[in-house]
Formats: sequence, structure tokens, C-alpha cells
Amino acid sequence: MRQNRFAVKSFACRAVLLFVFVMVLGSGIHLTTSTASAGKLLKIGMLEEPKSLNIWRASDRWSSKVLGLIYQSLYIRDPKTLELVPWLAESDPVFDAATLSYTVKLRPAKWSDGTEFTSEDVAFTGDFIKEFKVPRFYSKWKFVKKIETPDKHTVRFYLKKPEAIFITRSLATPIAQKKEWMKVTEEARTKEKPLSWLMNHRVKAPVGTGPFFLKEWRRGAYLFLQKNEHFFGSGKEINGYLLGPYINGMILKVYGTSDAAILAIQKGSIDMFWWGVQPGYIDSLKQNSKIDLFTNEKSALYYMGFNVRKAPFNDPNLRRAFATLVDEDFIIKRILQGFGVRMYSIIPPGNTFWYCPDVPRYGDGLGREGRIKKAVQILRDAGYTWQISPVEPSGKIVNGQGIMLPDGKLMEKFTILTPPADYDPHRAMCGMMMQEWLRMVGIPAYSKPMAFGALLQQIKVRRDFDTFILGYGNLSLDPDYLRNFFISTNNKRRGWNMSGYDNPAFDKIANESADAMNREERKKLIWEMQKIIIRDVPYIPLYNPKLIEAVRKGTFTGWVQMLGGVGNMWSFCQLKPK
Amino acid sequence: MELRRYITGRLMQITLIFFVILTVLFLLFRLAPGDPVTRMVDPDMTQEDSDRLIAELGLDQPLGVQYVIYVKNFFMGRFGYSFHYGEPVVDIIWSRLPNTVLLFTTSIILSALVGIFLGKIASWHKGKKLDSFMTLGALVTHTLFLPWLALLLIWVFAYKLGWFPITGMISEEVWLDPESGFVAKALDVMYHMVLPLSTLFLIHFGAYLLIMRSSMLETLKEDYILTARAKGLEEKTIRNHHAAPNAALPVVTSIGLSLAFSINGGALTETVFTWPGIGRELVSAVSQNDYPLAQASFLLIAIVVLLSNLVVDVLYAYLDPRIRY
Repeated sequence: MRQNRFAVKSFACRAVLLFVFVMVLGSGIHLTTSTASAGKLLKIGMLEEPKSLNIWRASDRWSSKVLGLIYQSLYIRDPKTLELVPWLAESDPVFDAATLSYTVKLRPAKWSDGTEFTSEDVAFTGDFIKEFKVPRFYSKWKFVKKIETPDKHTVRFYLKKPEAIFITRSLATPIAQKKEWMKVTEEARTKEKPLSWLMNHRVKAPVGTGPFFLKEWRRGAYLFLQKNEHFFGSGKEINGYLLGPYINGMILKVYGTSDAAILAIQKGSIDMFWWGVQPGYIDSLKQNSKIDLFTNEKSALYYMGFNVRKAPFNDPNLRRAFATLVDEDFIIKRILQGFGVRMYSIIPPGNTFWYCPDVPRYGDGLGREGRIKKAVQILRDAGYTWQISPVEPSGKIVNGQGIMLPDGKLMEKFTILTPPADYDPHRAMCGMMMQEWLRMVGIPAYSKPMAFGALLQQIKVRRDFDTFILGYGNLSLDPDYLRNFFISTNNKRRGWNMSGYDNPAFDKIANESADAMNREERKKLIWEMQKIIIRDVPYIPLYNPKLIEAVRKGTFTGWVQMLGGVGNMWSFCQLKPK
Repeated sequence: MELRRYITGRLMQITLIFFVILTVLFLLFRLAPGDPVTRMVDPDMTQEDSDRLIAELGLDQPLGVQYVIYVKNFFMGRFGYSFHYGEPVVDIIWSRLPNTVLLFTTSIILSALVGIFLGKIASWHKGKKLDSFMTLGALVTHTLFLPWLALLLIWVFAYKLGWFPITGMISEEVWLDPESGFVAKALDVMYHMVLPLSTLFLIHFGAYLLIMRSSMLETLKEDYILTARAKGLEEKTIRNHHAAPNAALPVVTSIGLSLAFSINGGALTETVFTWPGIGRELVSAVSQNDYPLAQASFLLIAIVVLLSNLVVDVLYAYLDPRIRY
């Protein structure tokens, strides 16, 4: 018995020692291997791995980043002008007004499995989306009446009615391979819930026409994308860029936190961190001579919204007073630490063609006192009164109290709903600042951070709220979202008109903009829509954060900067190892 | 015979408790605000798209109907598809579970072995400097904030000294190398385990040390220890063969339950070290209203914990002859 116990103890000691030994040995092997296998592989750090490689399901940004390198569209954005340029298409689409159709000529291209890319694939993709009403895509294809394929390299789209977004959105849809999806589609048709079945279809090796294809995916660790030898752009000059890829592939490594990814890039474990660097890290990264930082604008919008369905927020004067009190410069300087762009309109200024600079600018150039005086003036003119006015007759500013609505009733406390600080510290902080600025004029505002899911449920589904601060981090470059956000037909449960804005004049212009096939004509309408919205302020645009990305110096050259950052198709087709 | 009756009774209790958990889990997720579709903040997702998805996911059905389907599916072994991955929930759990079990079970066993050993030594030197040092050390490490300790270890040993990888479970250099065999890959995983394991070990071994020390001090007051001393046995023999085995009983309970809970991993540890385990997945599933994945994960934890309790109880009777059911 005693001997047995001794043996057990001895075994335990040996096991621990063996474990430590193996770990040390493991580190030795690792170092040897990592030195030996350095090559033309670009190593990229990501915060999460893709949720799915099924292009029809993938709605998270990590899946989109990865699949964006595999599945390609007919047209993509030029990095400098942001105009659409032919990609899988050979030239611009040709419009025939008589038949309301667009004809697109395709480049000679191959899928990553070596088979030929043809017009059949394009037609299949469009028909597939329409047949199964694939969420996120269907709204861009439902107005396409039929798709014809006169020959292998020509595709013709007939529209039911003129649609401005056809070129900018429909033709920017990723094209799926008919061969890969045909069988799946046929099987889906036999199912009780075909859409669910299709979206749950597991894609292990997506076949695309992009510069890379998926070679290996180790869950929770990395994805290995290898150079696609069949990539149609290899060695060709497209849009002034002589395309590669000049790298053998890329390793997309998963880091659960920004802290770990920042340490990894500083240490040299990765060449690029494919995510915005938080302002808090920037100083230490700037001090590192081996790191390059790129600053680009995003197509984003962060804003304060009102529930204009109910009093007192149905009064545009009150909303204008709020807009006057918001100090956007303070938000950018203090909360975003200078890494942001001021928003005057709903469309970000970086989207130069559609952005309208000629909109009302509330409180622009005024200090705190000036803003308070102007806001109080707007409210006084609209019939608001105070128990203690924030501006004394002498012009002295005091803490206002007891603001009363034009009907003489005391304004009740209301909430500014924001996401919690752990989800987005900027928006949470903006809510608190708004609360303080409003209270200075006696407006009883209370900032209330709320779990993100609950917040959206409250605003989008229950529509039970006063005001909120939300944002879109990746808006399309086509401004059709302006119509979606404010048209009265979207003022319904789960609709995007969350504020409940209802203006027949806006609706009319918005619908005209959707049908406008002439770009200049559409631009005029989009500008008019922006003017109306900023005049009526159902949303107060707050800021557009800048995107700061970190890359290693001296490993790869050829990064192409554009709206949305350096992690774009042009960069990955241009990068060359040093 | 009595033990068999006891086990049968406990199994019936467990079934009842499990059914309650099954129901509570269903209600908890359905009553919590938010749903998986509303979270998709994508202007391309129209209201019609949202409604269609809600219907496809079966979330448009009355709660009672959803509950019946849920219970029926559970008893038929159908846990459904994850709303976000679009993959069978069982596949997701089985792909993450071994990673969690590997890290957390190893850490518990290692912490327990060292904790029991040091606790025994500390109690034997009660009141002396060694005891104070060990007790204080255990208290300090046990109360450290786990993410802080983890980040500190990463900063020192991975970033500054470069001895270990910053995060992750495997290196692509090893796994993409066609010449790497099983041994190289296994060693690579172990190498990546060093920092997360050290973090968990430092946090947990103190608890075992303190339990063991306290239990040993109680045991040393027992009459049979006095008898052993009166018989003239060596101090080492009394400590290791008379006191320690009896004092280790509370630690056994603690280890048993810790092992059971180890399958839920630790969201913090797994997040900081990007360890692809079930803990991170669970948190993500809950925060994104991925009901099927979250429910199945919690049910798995519930089953393991309930059964472990039973095993610990039976084991206790085996280890301590005074306990009879």
C-alpha cells in the first residue's frame, strides 16, 4: 500500500517534469520551424474568424473580408475616384432605353477550379437571388425582370422599371459559380424551407474568381488563402494598376483582442492588422520605427436620432435646438482624440460625388455660450419657456431649469439610449456629453447605455424610445440608404426609418431619386434630400471616425489607400515583398 | 443495494432538475430583449428580409409552439443549426470542446497536484515563515484579476522576452509545413498552452492549497494522529500516510466539480489568449442571441455538472468508509 502510494507520487512528479520538458522542447521546435518557413506570405491579423463561407449567409464583416477576396463582382470601386470600374466586366454597361435593358460584356476569366467563367454564372447568380429572395441581396435584384445570355461573354439584364441602384448595387453583387451551386439549388427546391436550407449549406472550399482561394482553414487559428493561378487580372493592367498578386498567399490569423493583435504587429508576427487601431494605441505605434500607420476616411455615419412620432420630439424646432447644442468639434477632439471627421450631412464628406456641403450647419463656429444663446433663441421663438431661463436678460449664462413646452406643460425627463461603453465607448461618451449640454439649458436629458441587442429591439422593433445614438460603420457608397432611412414606407416594425420621419415632399423626391437613371439628375435629388433632412433633423449627424490601420514597414510595399482603408482588393493585388 | 437505490433516486432527481433547466433556458433566451435578426445593422437588410428570416428561423411562431418544438427536438437529439454559423450546433460544440477540455482539465489537475502538495507542507509548518509565505502567496495569486495577469504574462514572456507566442493554440508555420508530423503538432499545441496554462494555474492552485491546508489542520487535531505519534511513527509518515489522505477529501469534491465546470471553459482566458474553446463561443452565442448554440452549450454543461455531482457523492462514499447511503 505504502509502496503503491510512493509509486503514484513518483509518477505524478515525473509527469509534471515530462510536461515541462515537452513544453520547452515544443518551443525549440516552434522557433526552428518559424525561421525556416518565412516566404512570400502576407500575414494579417484579424479580431475574429469568419462565421461562414457561405456567401449567401455571411453577413458579418469578417466573413465579408475573406469572401471579398474570393468572390468577385462585375464592377468595383476605383480607389481614387470611387467610381465603379469594370472588373469581371470588360467595359461599362450599355443601356438600351427602348427595352429598359443593360448589356454587359465579360472579361475572359476562370474560376479558381480552372473552369471557365461565363455569362451563365452571372445569370445564375441573379436568378438564384430572385428565386430564393436571398436576404441582403434581393432588394437589389427584385426589379430585374429577366436575364439573358446571348453568348458566353455577354449578359443582358431587363429591368421592370428604371432603378438607379442597378449599376451601383446590383452589378456590384458577388458572382457565384453555377457549377458549385446548381446541385445545391436543386436540392433546396425539394425542402420545406429552401432559404433556410440554402443558408445552412456548409461551404468548405468556396470557388471564386478572385486573386486568392481558400487553401486551409484551421478553426480558431488561421485561414490560409493561396494565390489563385487562374485569376483573370494577373499580369493585366486594369484601371491603371498592373495586377498581381505578387505574393504567394496570405495567412489570416485570429487574435481575440486588439491588445494581442497590436502586440503581434509590434513583435513582427503579422504584417498588417486588418482592423481600425484604437486611438489609445496610436502613440506607442508611432514610436515604433517598424510600423507604418495609414489614416483613411470611412464610409460611416454616427448620429443621434429622435422618435419624431411623439411629442416633444415631433417639433423640428426642438430638434434644431438640440443640433445647435451639439459640439461636434468637441466630440472629435476630445472623445475621438482627433481621429474623426465632422459630419454635416447624412452622407459622409468622403463620398465626394453625393455629399452635399450646402446644408444648414447648426452652431457652426460657436463656442458653448454662443450655442446656448442660439439654442435658447430657437426655442423661445418656438414658444418654449423656462422656470429659470438659461440666458438672463443681461445675457449672462446660468443653469436653466424647468423648460416648458409651447403648450405650457413642463418637459418630462427623457432618455438618450446608447450602446454600453464596453461595446462602443465613443457612443456611450457622446450620450453623456449630450446629456450635459442639454441640461445646461434645462432640458431634462438622461443618457442610458443599454445592451446592444436590447437597444435595437427597443428602437427598431418596439419603437419605444425618446432619442438614441447609433451608427453605421460601413455604409454603401451608393446613397440609396438616405431614402431607406427616412422614407415613410419604411416607418414600420423592423423598418429602417427608425425615427418615424414622415414627409410626403421627401418621399416624392426619394422615389424620384430611386428611379433616376441619369447620374447628374440623381445627384440633384440626393442633394435636395440631404437639405430636407438636415433642415428637419430627424437625425443629428455627429461624426465619422477615421480609420487608422497599422502595417509593418519593410516587409511588403504597394499598399493602396482608399475610402475604407488599405485592406482592399487593389492593395492585395499590388503588394510586393520587399 | 443501498447505494444502488441511492443512485436510482439521484438519477430521478437529476432528470427532474434537468427538465427544469431545459425550460428555464428556453424562457431565458426568449424573454431576453433582442433577437438574432434585429442585431444585423445592415441597411441592405430590408424589413421584408428581416421578416422572412424571422419566419425561416421559426421565431414568428407563438412561444408555446416554439417550446413544444424545442423539447421534441431535444429528445430526438436535434439541436438545430446555429443562427450565425449556419452549421449544426453539435458540430460547433464538438469542434470547440476538446480545446477547452485540454486546457482547463490540465490546469485543474496541475493546480490540484501542486495545491495539495503545498497545502500539506504549509499546514505542517503552521505559524512558521514558510506557512505565512505560502498562505500569502496563495491568497495573492488566487485573488489576482485574471485578464490582468494574462496580459501581464503575455507582455513579459511573449512580447518582451519572446519566449512564447502571443496568443492562439497553434502556429501556422508548423501546421502548414507538410513535414510536420503528429509529434511536432502536439508539441506546438503544448507550447501554445504554456501561458494560458500558467495563468490558470496561478489563479487556481492557491484555492487548493488553502483548502488542503485548512483540512490538514483539522485532521491533525484528530485522535488517530495522536495515536500514530504515540506509536512512535515518523513525522513524515504521519503527515503523508495518516493525515494527508483524510484531509484530501474536501479537495476531491472541489476537483470533481471544477472538472465538471471546466467544460464551459473560461470566456476571459479564452478571449485573452484567443483559445478556440467553448467559453468564447458561449459568450458570443448569448450576446448575439444565437439561441440554438447557447441552449445546447448550457444543456451540455448542465448534464455534465449534474452527473459529476452524483459521481463525486459516490466517490466520497468510496474514499471515506464512514459515509454510507
